[in-house]
Amino acid sequence: MHSMQDINPLPWGAQDRFQTHFIVKGNVDQSDSGFLAEAKLKTQGHFGSKKIIGVEWVGGNIANILNADSELADMIKKLSYDEACIWVDPTKNGVRIHGKWKSSSELGISKELFAVYDRIALHVKKNLGSPPI
Amino acid sequence: MHDSEQDTFVQKNKNEQFCDLLEKIGIESEAKEIGSDEVEKGDYYSRNSTHSPIMVTNHGCIKIKNSNIDVVQIIQKG
Repeated sequence: MHSMQDINPLPWGAQDRFQTHFIVKGNVDQSDSGFLAEAKLKTQGHFGSKKIIGVEWVGGNIANILNADSELADMIKKLSYDEACIWVDPTKNGVRIHGKWKSSSELGISKELFAVYDRIALHVKKNLGSPPI
Repeated sequence: MHDSEQDTFVQKNKNEQFCDLLEKIGIESEAKEIGSDEVEKGDYYSRNSTHSPIMVTNHGCIKIKNSNIDVVQIIQKG
């Protein structure tokens, strides 16, 4: 007798999907959408040749501050499309800056991407009332 | 004949591995013990986030030096 194999097995347990959260510590109200932001990318080309030609931050007050930083926009344009998908998310113990979920083999960080996260963190820090570095 | 592989290897946690990656790009950092940072104790996403999975595994934090980023936390889906 053959046992029927489930063609759509349910994922169970830890998956090979990782996220790195770059956190600026501070007391934040989680329901305060002021520190919420998402990078909406304007692109040119498709697949491997996809190039970022612009970025617009949407969200709370922090999105307006990030939109006003043209140097940050230039830094983001130099990143790959996947690296440039960035979210800013307020949680109880701090504001989290993160990208997409990645597999363990993709989990890495470039100097350019770290510089972008650090610059976003600078704006977050200023708005949390902490002295920037 | 010598095997090219080493006899021993150092097993590293995810946060220790990421710490090594940061070091390679010139960022001074230090892997912390899992569960030792306050950011690991609260929620990892805001209520407004659409990214929040039902379950996540915490792989610990890395303290970043000389940066506006205080800590990096690595999480895994599931």
